[in-house]
Amino acid sequence: MAKDESGAAQRPGSRPGSQIGARILAPVARELRIAGWLSVLSGALWPVQAAAIAWAVSGWAEGGAPFERAWITAGLFVLCAALRAGLEHRAGALLFDAADQTIARNRARLLTREARAPTDAGSARIASLTVQKLQLLQPWITRYHVAMMRASVLPLLLLLLATSQSWLVGLTLLIAGPLIPVFMALVGMAAEDASRRQMSEIGTMNDMLMDRLSAMLDIRLLGAADRTALDFSARAEALRASTMGVLKVAFLSSTVLELFSALGVAMVAVFVGFTLLGEIGFGGWGGGLTLGQGLFLLLIAPEFFQPLRDLAAAWHDRAAGFAVVAELDALDAADRRPVLGQVRRAVPLAGAISVQTRAARAALPGRVVPLPDLTLRAGQSLALTGPSGAGKSTALSALAGLVPLASGALSVCGTALDDTTADAWRERVALMPQRPHFSDETLGDWLDTRGTGADPAAALALADARDVVRRLPGGLEARLGETGGGVSGGEARRLLLARAIFTGADLILADEPTADLDAETAGRIIAALRNLQAEGRTIIVATHDPALAAAMDAQLELGQ
Amino acid sequence: MSALIRIARLLVSADPWAMARGAALSVAVLLMGAALLGLSGWFITATGLAGLVGIGIAFDVFRPSAGVRFLALGRAASRYGERLLTHDATLRALAALRVTLLRGFARSDAKTLARLRSEGVLTRIISDVDALDGVILRLILPLAAAALTHALVFFALVWLVGGPVAGVILAGYLPGLALILLRLGRRSIAPSSVAEETAQALRRGTIAMIRDREALILAATLPEREAALRDLDARARRAARHLDQAERGAAAHMSILVAVVAMAAFLAGALLLEAQQVGPATAVIGLFVALALAEAVLPLRRGVAELGRMVGAAARVAPRTELPTGAPPRDEIAAAPLLRLETQGLDLELAAGAALAITGASGIGKTTLMLRISGLIEGEGIRIKGTAPRDWREPALRAVVTAVPQRSALMAGTIRENLCLAGDHSDAELDAAIHAVALAEDIAARGGLSSRLGEGGAGLSGGQARRLCLARGLLCAPEILLLDEPTEGLDARTAEAVLTGIRAALPEALIIAVMHRGAAHGIFDRVVRLAG
Repeated sequence: MAKDESGAAQRPGSRPGSQIGARILAPVARELRIAGWLSVLSGALWPVQAAAIAWAVSGWAEGGAPFERAWITAGLFVLCAALRAGLEHRAGALLFDAADQTIARNRARLLTREARAPTDAGSARIASLTVQKLQLLQPWITRYHVAMMRASVLPLLLLLLATSQSWLVGLTLLIAGPLIPVFMALVGMAAEDASRRQMSEIGTMNDMLMDRLSAMLDIRLLGAADRTALDFSARAEALRASTMGVLKVAFLSSTVLELFSALGVAMVAVFVGFTLLGEIGFGGWGGGLTLGQGLFLLLIAPEFFQPLRDLAAAWHDRAAGFAVVAELDALDAADRRPVLGQVRRAVPLAGAISVQTRAARAALPGRVVPLPDLTLRAGQSLALTGPSGAGKSTALSALAGLVPLASGALSVCGTALDDTTADAWRERVALMPQRPHFSDETLGDWLDTRGTGADPAAALALADARDVVRRLPGGLEARLGETGGGVSGGEARRLLLARAIFTGADLILADEPTADLDAETAGRIIAALRNLQAEGRTIIVATHDPALAAAMDAQLELGQ
Repeated sequence: MSALIRIARLLVSADPWAMARGAALSVAVLLMGAALLGLSGWFITATGLAGLVGIGIAFDVFRPSAGVRFLALGRAASRYGERLLTHDATLRALAALRVTLLRGFARSDAKTLARLRSEGVLTRIISDVDALDGVILRLILPLAAAALTHALVFFALVWLVGGPVAGVILAGYLPGLALILLRLGRRSIAPSSVAEETAQALRRGTIAMIRDREALILAATLPEREAALRDLDARARRAARHLDQAERGAAAHMSILVAVVAMAAFLAGALLLEAQQVGPATAVIGLFVALALAEAVLPLRRGVAELGRMVGAAARVAPRTELPTGAPPRDEIAAAPLLRLETQGLDLELAAGAALAITGASGIGKTTLMLRISGLIEGEGIRIKGTAPRDWREPALRAVVTAVPQRSALMAGTIRENLCLAGDHSDAELDAAIHAVALAEDIAARGGLSSRLGEGGAGLSGGQARRLCLARGLLCAPEILLLDEPTEGLDARTAEAVLTGIRAALPEALIIAVMHRGAAHGIFDRVVRLAG
């Protein structure tokens, strides 16, 4: 499934593997390689520990004093353990660095791109990719590669060591070993499926919970709270039953893998036992085995299988990582609306405000939208009207330099609006969007977009929004939260207007400033806009509202 | 921490039997692993000795070798059962936590309920709930299984090998583990909660930046906002680094602990051998069992490293799982008027069958008045059948008063399910209700009552969703029906049909509608204007 997604996201002709290697892994290839070798080295120390134990116990069997070899063995064993712990610790640090660098690099790229040149992807999707999903690269980078390296070196090493003691044990491992990758392919897929099922089960339960929580006011007012809770529990129970059905099969296949390694070890143990008793006279080089050899084989046999099992466990980390990379690639390839200019403070464009467009067409992702030919001088006001989808909002965006032109001319203050003039032009423009978005900051900070620290009282007065602020607990210190809880639609609109005025801009672009408002509230907004014009500012509104359109100096109908 | 204990108790009590089964099999897996390695070690050493002294023929090989095979198979089988049963127990617990939360939030006030519509608040709740999902699988079960396994292994070793070996293993592992885990907990609790909080702040900040991009670009403050988010990211990653360091440190200490305990058991075995209390084969059992117990020890660190995140989430979630303190329910007084309003400048006595329209400028408190009548906002001067809303028992009040708020919400599911939110109704009743709100044609065009809606009622237009919510209110057949802007987003002809239909559907009910347009409609026998 991850493969399909990444396949769909690729541009034609590129191979998924190489691209993922280049994009995500190449910058950290060195860290991954070193960490892999450190971890392999740590695994290679286990035969030393096993040999130490075998040596000491065979000493007992040969009639030596109990402590004759025990102290040396204990010392050597603990020393090797400390060394292994140190190696793994260091490898872990390198792997964390590799993952951290990768996440940081991709996150920084998303953070500096997605607001400047947005795609059609929603803000929630971008946020979840930037914050949660990028995090899924970590297990892929930290677990999968090391597991792969260990699986390709350690079983071979242990196989050689086992064969050096007994060709029959070596043969047993050699036969059981290759079966594991075969099963791993089957099981890896099944385990992947199982983990995805479980994630989607939890996801479904969370969606159900979110849906019900967001409707909770209605549910409470309808007196349906108990019934809703019972219904949720019944659905959750049904989901659990169906998920368990899938897990029963999926876990069964990973049990097969475990069974193989368990039986492999048990066979080695039993074979060694019988050989030591002298009941089996073959298998070792030149006859039987010694007790030391037998113990050594018993201790290293499980470690032969362990790297393969670790790799199987890390398999779905890789799939999850690939899915994230596919999503990043898809986002890279998506159409964007780049903003004009550098987006930084600049010396305001000189001269009286003027706006003129000729045969201009705005370039939106995947289509171009024609703009009306218009000429506007300082102090004038204009209403853009026309049916939904006629391009009113796009026209306002283009005038603010938020959308590039595909063709035609757009000049402001007598010069062409382009990458070199956009920053200076925007110093003189404010845009009042149709839908407010309040961030988690105080109302005062929200109003003061340019961070001037000045008193917004005059702007609030012009926008007829003083009483809104007065009514809020804490006034300018109030935090409205993202949906503007605590203010009505009309109040939010007046605050948006105050915010536009407070920038000190000479040209105010307002998108549907009176939509969804009652006549009385709409009247207050219209009056405020007229006051602004009387103050000498230039105003362009996009609107459906005939009363607002009539209050402007001129009307221009789009979509004709 | 007490909040986490509360949550843990809640999760376990969801189905204690399922939890006990899972824990029992976890212990079985660990015990079989220890027994397998111990028996194999003993078997090989014993056969080696027997072979050396030439009594191989007399040695009973079949029982031990059958034991080795039985344990190997049994361990794989119990592992399978353990996985199934612990996942089963976890899924039950997750569902129980979510149901408890739903019930908890259902009791909260209007402000909290309104906040639940914000995506940020919802994602915070969901991510808290997710953080608590690990409490069972990564914290409680591994800790319980490890403790029980250690206890059982101790008694088995006392019996099989001798006190010194058993004692050394228990006295090595328990305090060593306690120290390592305590240290890990202390070092990770702060970074793990910081990591969680900064991740959520980063998420909110990213959404805010993209949604508010136009204002940020026009003010040229976008670079500053980007820099602030990069700082937040740096903080989040710093916390993750501290967490990783703490966890890796604990992992290193644990693997050294395993080696030290195994060697201590080995030396204790040598001591017993020297005292000639046991033979060499029995003396090595302790060593092999101690090595096998690593499997019980190593998984503990993951849960402990998440403790900070769990504690923070539990502190936020636990208050929502508390049962309400019982308010004194008072009996209704039948002789009193249906609704008496002496508040917000009103002085009205309203009887069944009346219809009142309330107008007033936006922000004047129309919606607040409706929520106060519904008992979701505290307030004086409201009497329903002589009793203030807060003194009513919740189910009794809901049977009398139904309100349809302005921004009503629908849920994913069929239209029938959405209509039957508060109770089952026959299709004839549902048809009558959707007919009353002039929605019958729209629903027939979509494929009838069984057609499905997406999340939040996606698939219906704003006006259709509005009318579906009104129909849902009608189906409750209340004595008092409160409507907040019932005709918002409807064209004049539909608005007319909806108001008339509602009146006709509930001729006996008192209808109160908050409206800024159309209050002059004929169904209203009274219009009052709310003034500030």
